[in-house]
Amino acid sequence: MLNRNIIEKVIDKALSNGADFAELFVESTFNSSIAFNDNKTKQNIVGNDYGAGVRVFYGHTAIYAYTNDLSEEALLTAADAVSKAARGGNIIASIDLTKKEITNIHPIEIPNNKIAKKDKIDLIRKINEASRGYSDQISQVDIRFIEKNQHVMIANSEGLLVEDDRNYSRVYVSSIASNGTEKQVGGEGPGRFAGYEFFKTIDPVKLGKDTARVAVTMLNADYAPSGKFPVVIDNGFGGVIFHEACGHSLETTAVAKGASVFAGKMGEQIAYKGLTAIDDGTMPNEWGSENIDDEGMETQKTVLIENGILKSYMVDKMGSLKTGYARTGSGRRQSYKFAPTSRMRNTYIANGNDKFDDMIASIDEGIYAAKMGGGSVSPGTGNFNFAVGEGYIIRNGKIAEPVRGATLIGNGADALLKISMISNNMEMAQGMCGSSSGSIPTNVGQPAIKIDEIIVGGRN
Amino acid sequence: MYNKEFQTIFTYAKDKTDETEILLSAGNSFSVKINKQNVESFNYSDSKGIGVRVIKNGKVGYAYTEKFDEETFKNIVDEAIENAEYTEDDDVVIMEKYPENTDSPNVYSKELDKVDVLEKIQLAKDLEKYAKETDKRVFNVPFAVFGDGKSYSRVANSKGLDREDTQNYAYAYVGALSEEKDDKRMGIEFHITRNFGEFNAKKMAEESVKKSTDLLNSKPAETGKSAVVFNNEMMAAMLATFSGIFNAKSVQEGRSLLKGKIGQKIANNKVTIIDDGLHPDGFSTSAFDNEGYPTERTVLIENGVLKTYLHNTITARKDGVKSTGNGSRGYKGTLNISTSNFLIEAGEHKEADLFTKHDKIIEIVSLQGMHSGANPISGDFSLGAQGFLWENGKRQHSLKPFTVSGNFLQMLSGVEAIADNFKFDMSSNGAPSILINELNISG
Repeated sequence: MLNRNIIEKVIDKALSNGADFAELFVESTFNSSIAFNDNKTKQNIVGNDYGAGVRVFYGHTAIYAYTNDLSEEALLTAADAVSKAARGGNIIASIDLTKKEITNIHPIEIPNNKIAKKDKIDLIRKINEASRGYSDQISQVDIRFIEKNQHVMIANSEGLLVEDDRNYSRVYVSSIASNGTEKQVGGEGPGRFAGYEFFKTIDPVKLGKDTARVAVTMLNADYAPSGKFPVVIDNGFGGVIFHEACGHSLETTAVAKGASVFAGKMGEQIAYKGLTAIDDGTMPNEWGSENIDDEGMETQKTVLIENGILKSYMVDKMGSLKTGYARTGSGRRQSYKFAPTSRMRNTYIANGNDKFDDMIASIDEGIYAAKMGGGSVSPGTGNFNFAVGEGYIIRNGKIAEPVRGATLIGNGADALLKISMISNNMEMAQGMCGSSSGSIPTNVGQPAIKIDEIIVGGRN
Repeated sequence: MYNKEFQTIFTYAKDKTDETEILLSAGNSFSVKINKQNVESFNYSDSKGIGVRVIKNGKVGYAYTEKFDEETFKNIVDEAIENAEYTEDDDVVIMEKYPENTDSPNVYSKELDKVDVLEKIQLAKDLEKYAKETDKRVFNVPFAVFGDGKSYSRVANSKGLDREDTQNYAYAYVGALSEEKDDKRMGIEFHITRNFGEFNAKKMAEESVKKSTDLLNSKPAETGKSAVVFNNEMMAAMLATFSGIFNAKSVQEGRSLLKGKIGQKIANNKVTIIDDGLHPDGFSTSAFDNEGYPTERTVLIENGVLKTYLHNTITARKDGVKSTGNGSRGYKGTLNISTSNFLIEAGEHKEADLFTKHDKIIEIVSLQGMHSGANPISGDFSLGAQGFLWENGKRQHSLKPFTVSGNFLQMLSGVEAIADNFKFDMSSNGAPSILINELNISG
């Protein structure tokens, strides 16, 4: 993307005031989005994100600057600015970059730009028709078709020079059911770290119908009860509970400051003994996968919790300097506009031995969360919340009537210990995770789990 | 600024499109974050982007780039034309040279641009230092941040419209974590301004610590129905979460609760909701929107009655009304509608009076899960909350985290009293503290 000579000059300049480390991140990204609703293709946009970020470390201080101007002059100006933000005692001789070849473990079969827009719109129409055909109560279907190709180049003062291509394909469907006075929504957004071949694996009819079914079921449901209940959270997007309740608190960004409930707990029992949780960037073509992280390190499979024992945090370069733990290939960022920090990839609870039916049968009165909405956490306190997208009452060991509008709240450290059963139907679902280095693709996942007691905020 | 770029695009597009609009944003920003009196991070940015919206045979297409060269500029015009071909939207889109607001508030301070970087760092250091010193129960200050920035935007179309605007701002926030008997609570205080002298690190730090420590020593909330006071910051957060119901595009596409309700009473008489693109104290103030249309003060709900929706020129034409100057897009996005400075007007009560209206009242000072627990389409919400129990006009104790749930429209109808303590949040949503007759609490 850039002449090696210029890259070396920029890094030398960034180091010139005695910094410990310097890094250059360059990006050129093609974005395309089709927005469809009201039975029509409403908005088409394509564009090119283009820029570079220069980062230096002085001890535990990170300095970052970015620009859209990739001329030698502009990059040297940015490097000069970051170098002068502090003063260090290091003298690093002129660096010599070695191009590192990486193995692409997430091959692309069909580049998105090889497929005509018309084919994409035909697929969208099939989803739209399936949703509307499900029920007369479906009043609107919103579909977004998202394609992204990100080319990155990362070089640093340790001599690293590496490039990678990242392809993302996703379709987001949101069906709205209305009975004239009320509205409810059902949404799904399958996506992969892959090319157009991913869209060929989607069953558009099923996708349309599934979102419509949730919207209609919730429209005709009563409000959820309020109070403390046992809850069964099913697989797929149910994994958002681990993501919010624990995942964020295992990122070194939170741990290093002591602003995490899991700081200082390495090797300790922090969860139910049957719980193993993994953050894995190597799963072929999964939404949160990568070849290398945004600091140029090869991605890996990181076991976070094994049989309830805390085994690893998610560690980026600065997090490693601050905590002493080895990097886990977890340095990620939305774009050149963000300095990288420790983030999740494909994060999931591994399969257990319990049967789904036994979990339901074990509850006299409780909630079955078939599909989860999103959630959030305050890492300092561990307090989390998340919304139930499709919920049902469990009564006398059986799944009974649907209920809507429930939010589950609790504390991460506490909730992990209240998990009592883990099923064997692990599945993942796609999300966009927002944090200090921007919004990035991550998978959440789990088999169905039972939590013995959690606060359900309903209205009955 | 950027005359050459605009000229290149207009010249190339002239014979290829029916109409062309160019939107450019450029700016720089700075932020510093302190941890243990050291600079944890320093961020600088200098960035720009340009987007085109073209009309070809009545259809609209978009494209953008952050790479500035002649070849790329030509490419985005061609791409936008191709995108227009595949658009099936039959909304009528017309670009015009809209009139200009001549007396809009000043949104740029030369003085702010001159503040020395060392002063900025010192401010962030003071935020952390004072927060740690204020109370022994503070065990961590995860956020002590100062930031500022300057942004330039320009929009022009082939009908001769050409508007530009330069703004700047500075903000600071501090977050304190305190702990007592395993109860951990976070308190965050923020300030945004164009006058650096306004920042008072000690006051901000003390306020964040008070917000955090007041919540310690909590008891469980009782599950059931209760009268609720949202403090001014949380009322603004609720208003912002449901702002989409006023969006005329959502209404026209059957996605808003307010469809068909113009002229109807949808809230208590005391409630007046306004979007004011020209508010002197807001940070979303600009003389024009992203279509170049003049902004204005739009009364959405007056004494409980719905008066209008928020429009851009396309939705306005469809409804046979005038745009309210809320056309919104970034160079990377497509045209939509968004609020500017969006607020509920202050009432006459002192905040303390609100708590005397019922024997038992729950005060909410923090909410979690606005993006997941609130359904902007149905108006239903169920949110994680923190706050206090009040009895007979006295604050009794703080509550363990609980949930509050209800429906936004029912909540607006259930407004019983409005305080006089109006405040804008960091995103220019503003409200006073408000007493709601009844919501569901789960603890």
